[in-house]
Amino acid sequence: MAILSLAFKSLLNRKLTFFITLFSIAISVTLLLGVQTLKTETKTSFMKSISGTDLIIGSRGASSQLLLSSVFHIGSSTNTIKYETYQDIEKLPAVEWAVPISMGDSHKGYTVIATNLSFFDHFSYANKQNLTVQSGSIDDDMFAVAIGADVAQKLDYHVGDRIIVTHGGGEIEGHDHDNIPFFVSAILSPSFTAIDQTLIISLEAMEAMHTETHDHLGALPGETLLDSDHHEHHDEHDEDHEQHAAHDKHDEHHDEHDEDHEQHTAHDKHDEHHDEHDEDHAQHAAHDKHDEHDEDHEQHAAHDKHDEHHDEHDESHEQHAAHEHEDTQDQRIARLLKLKPENINAIFVGLTSRHAVLGMQSYVNNFQGEPLTAIIPAVALQELWQFFSLAESALNIVTTFVVLVGLLGMLSIILMSLNERRREMAVLRSVGARPSHIFGLIIGEAGFVCLTGILLGVILLYAVLLILQTPLANYYGFYLDINMLTSNDLFILLTIQCSALLIALIPGALIYKYSLSDGMNIKF
Amino acid sequence: MINLTDLSFAWNKQPIIDIKELTIKKGEHLFIEGPSGSGKSTLLSLLAGVITPQSGDISILEQPLNLLTASQKDTFRANHIGFIFQQFNLLPYLNVLDNITLPCSFSGIRKHKALSQSKNLESEAIRLLNALGLDDPELLQRSVNELSVGQQQRVAAARAMLGSPEIIIADEPTSALDSDNRESFIKVLFDECQKADITLIFVSHDTSLKTHFKHSLKLQEINQATIKEAV
Ligand SMILES: Nc1ncnc2c1ncn2[C@@H]1O[C@H](COP(=O)(O)OP(=O)(O)OP(=O)(O)O)[C@@H](O)[C@H]1O
Ligand SMILES: [Mg+2]
Repeated sequence: MAILSLAFKSLLNRKLTFFITLFSIAISVTLLLGVQTLKTETKTSFMKSISGTDLIIGSRGASSQLLLSSVFHIGSSTNTIKYETYQDIEKLPAVEWAVPISMGDSHKGYTVIATNLSFFDHFSYANKQNLTVQSGSIDDDMFAVAIGADVAQKLDYHVGDRIIVTHGGGEIEGHDHDNIPFFVSAILSPSFTAIDQTLIISLEAMEAMHTETHDHLGALPGETLLDSDHHEHHDEHDEDHEQHAAHDKHDEHHDEHDEDHEQHTAHDKHDEHHDEHDEDHAQHAAHDKHDEHDEDHEQHAAHDKHDEHHDEHDESHEQHAAHEHEDTQDQRIARLLKLKPENINAIFVGLTSRHAVLGMQSYVNNFQGEPLTAIIPAVALQELWQFFSLAESALNIVTTFVVLVGLLGMLSIILMSLNERRREMAVLRSVGARPSHIFGLIIGEAGFVCLTGILLGVILLYAVLLILQTPLANYYGFYLDINMLTSNDLFILLTIQCSALLIALIPGALIYKYSLSDGMNIKF
Repeated sequence: MINLTDLSFAWNKQPIIDIKELTIKKGEHLFIEGPSGSGKSTLLSLLAGVITPQSGDISILEQPLNLLTASQKDTFRANHIGFIFQQFNLLPYLNVLDNITLPCSFSGIRKHKALSQSKNLESEAIRLLNALGLDDPELLQRSVNELSVGQQQRVAAARAMLGSPEIIIADEPTSALDSDNRESFIKVLFDECQKADITLIFVSHDTSLKTHFKHSLKLQEINQATIKEAV
């Protein structure tokens, strides 16, 4: 007891070196634990990216690539599968649900994914949590877009805002689909997954944009009556038509473009539908709003390969009429066409039974229609995480050395104090201290410095975590969960404490030897 | 009460001490002189039981030291011997009071004896300091670094005397003092040892101090090792 208070007073007498040692240990402990925390948090948030999806299906290729592109929206989206494959998969008895995913568009650097409404019902992350909406609501309108929390925050978007989507990945080289503005229908709550940085649109809208880009849709003659904004688009289109006419398959119609834009009728696919035009007219005519379209019906009808969708037009138009925004003519056409894409990038699949996973996976891998890959998200995530294991161990090694340097600093400071303290040791010996007391004094000092260093380090860690939590979530979409120290952390701290005591054996043994050999001599 | 017989000790096979017979009586004030390097400090270390002789016996207060384990020797020393060094007697991180009461941390007997003198350790420390000529009570809480060397030696003497050990061993306690301080220091040390019936073993190479002592011996005269070396 007396020795402990002596050790403490002796330490306080050397405040400066004590605090320097204390802080070097504290900082190294903070760093080590911080890295551990970051590592586990990164891994957890990584593993939480998707859940409840039993399989992800994409074109034949590396599973990590499919995972990266479909879940993290990283990498190319050039590998596609047929939409029909999706339809086939969906029909399989083992499949409870299947959600098609198409990518490749962006908005101001944020990924745009196209899917259908069932995405919101089935996509889940973390512990099977579905995406939730923080404002607005998921709208089944074709041009509704649900935006991730980060997108809304960074770009300051609100429900009802109109936005333009870019084809292709980048902000720079992409082509604006400015004829098809979307309106923000919902802002999703933060999920701290890639969805936060994503805009979600309908497959039909994405297909419409792409068709528009390639100028399969054109302006309608009657549209010149619309407001000036539409005028501009219209004018641009006239030019476009001329340009596109050159490589348009339907050269024979070229001459007619400027007069009546009859190029639509040229769609080869829809030629067979020509005969049905007359019937369709009747339905379209029913729309008050679209009276002016009457003359255009020929074109509309000609476009539409999905006759069955005609019946749905009534509903969708009525819904759309409720929106404050006027449709552009491209949108109007797209609504009538309701084209499904030919290709998509991935399918998220939920199975009726978890036991079916492996069988289903091998079925997909040997799919007849086209070469496919099916990955089990949890397994693929785990595999992908292995990529980071090298970086992880490198980080571990570095932080271990940081702690070691902290401890060596302590050792050198104790060793330096030793010569001066040989005198104190002789005095202590003279009043009856045993060599073991002297030894304990050194070990106790090292132990105390290290322990307070660790405690300070832990306090510092939580302070840093608390300070970083909000900015990390706000600016990096990384949710740092502040937890109690794990048993692994405690083990690390215990190891540090033991290492400190072990290292202190060196000066301890030295002073023990001195205290025996110096006798009652005070050496100077 | 202190008996040495056939005592020999060597540092790294180099014989330093070789004493046939030495007896120091209770209450005796013994001055041991000897040139530098003659082994005075080594002899004191042997008496204190800090180092163990290669051969021969030391018995102190009828207790043969060679029958004690190392830690028993440490306890024995704490209980019965007070030390005063030439310099740096005090722990710099303790104040004057804590330095004086330091032996009580290691010896219950001395603490008990000190408390039988005064109502608490602090007043016993003040009593000893007053006796040694340091009568400023404010001194107790001072850092020892703020004391003059003379004051430090008196504080060291107070510590050596606290709890009335039977023996005080002083290893050149006055060599850092000027002659005036030296005289008064020796005087108060003598008086106090007299009062408490403490056996004082005082070592120095300064022969001028010998006059204050009734008993004195030259180490080189009784120490065969030094004679051999000299020859
Ligand atoms: N710890 C030690 N290890 C090895 N040799 C030592 C040790 N202490 C003392 N010696 C040797 O023992 C001899 C006697 O030393 P000691 O300190 O006893 O002399 P001393 O008479 O006290 O001298 P001084 O008057 O200078 O204090 C010296 O030659 C010294 O070199
Ligand atoms: Mg000496």
